[in-house]
Amino acid sequence: MTIQETYKARVKKLLASGTVKMVIGYKPGTTADRRRPHFIRTPEEADQLVLDSACITNLSGYLLSEGLLSDEKAVAIFLKPDGIRSINILAAEAQLNSEQILILGFDSNDNQVTALEGEKVEEFTTLIESIKEQAPEALKNPLLEQIEGMTPKERFAFWQGEFSRCIKCYACRQACPMCYCRRCIVDCNQPQWVNTSSHTLGNFEWNIVRAFHLSGRCVGCGNCDRACPVNIPLRLINAKMAQEVLGAFDHFSGMSHTQEPVLASFKKDDSETFIL
Amino acid sequence: MNEIFEPKIVAFVCTYCTYAGADLAGTSRLKYAPNVRIVRLPCTGRISPMFILKALQKGADGVLISGCHPGDCHFTHGNYHARRRWMVFRALLEFTGIPSERVKYSWISAAEGGKFADLMNSITEDIRKLGPFDQYNALIKETEAPATF
Repeated sequence: MTIQETYKARVKKLLASGTVKMVIGYKPGTTADRRRPHFIRTPEEADQLVLDSACITNLSGYLLSEGLLSDEKAVAIFLKPDGIRSINILAAEAQLNSEQILILGFDSNDNQVTALEGEKVEEFTTLIESIKEQAPEALKNPLLEQIEGMTPKERFAFWQGEFSRCIKCYACRQACPMCYCRRCIVDCNQPQWVNTSSHTLGNFEWNIVRAFHLSGRCVGCGNCDRACPVNIPLRLINAKMAQEVLGAFDHFSGMSHTQEPVLASFKKDDSETFIL
Repeated sequence: MNEIFEPKIVAFVCTYCTYAGADLAGTSRLKYAPNVRIVRLPCTGRISPMFILKALQKGADGVLISGCHPGDCHFTHGNYHARRRWMVFRALLEFTGIPSERVKYSWISAAEGGKFADLMNSITEDIRKLGPFDQYNALIKETEAPATF
């Protein structure tokens, strides 16, 4: 039996037995290589379920849909390791109760989908620890190193070029499982921190603010990158911030559902070489 | 134009230490560069990174953020939180090409009037050498241009 069929059977069983009220998975999208989220409430709906290497979206953001978890019933969700880390962060930030989430874990490498053992977030701790060990290598990126090698002027010009294309559609925010604020800072208009027009200045500010809010929280799922209609390398800036918090505070986002958020905690001996 | 460039510097300071330090510089009759505009806040922990961006957005050539030394915070650990935040924000600014010379951080206690005066002088000198923040100013100008249809 293929992994897709195994999981389909499992989903049907979960729904038929009433263990979970809903399963969030994938179904075919508008083109052959696209998948869209599938919200399965009955065993029959599970027939449409697809699980293959094209299932790349991190679905964890849908768990925060208003009212979904408020009845305290369990929800099952298909997640890759980055999605499992998202669950940890959302639980650590008190956005959901990880007890309510049943994880249907999978990973895909070289077009090959493999199942991950476990149902609860705690069962994936060893997996996440091994990801943390590989992180310093995994976060490396040739373009990132190229930007780091530039002078500040060149870097500014590079990002100016990238951000000048931004149309302020906020698709990055909508696609991001970490952007759950009821009222985003760009929507605040008294005072108006960020220019709302899609001038490069406002775009600069918006993207800096978003990157700052994601530092130490981003899991690098790439939802924002794929959602961006003008292909701004958003993941690059988030990867840079992940490197930074890993290097400065040994913080790797989403290690456990009790991990303290990096910017809401401190150590008395944090580095301060830059302070005069 | 042979005029000397006078940089505009915005200092976000905490009221318990650095602001009192600035006061001490004044009462001690220490002379320092008049280029700095001080914004007084309850604590460095109150200083949101948005303040820095807003100052730049409004045409500041440099920004200084200053508060109590670690361990001296009136609210016991506001400055520890701030320190972490700056560490991350500083890296972000650097990565996006806003030179770290333009955004400075310091600890100045209420007893360090001299340090405050010296720092204001040295920052003003440094930024005068760098010149206006042309790249950012160009972006500001773009927002002021009349709409074209």
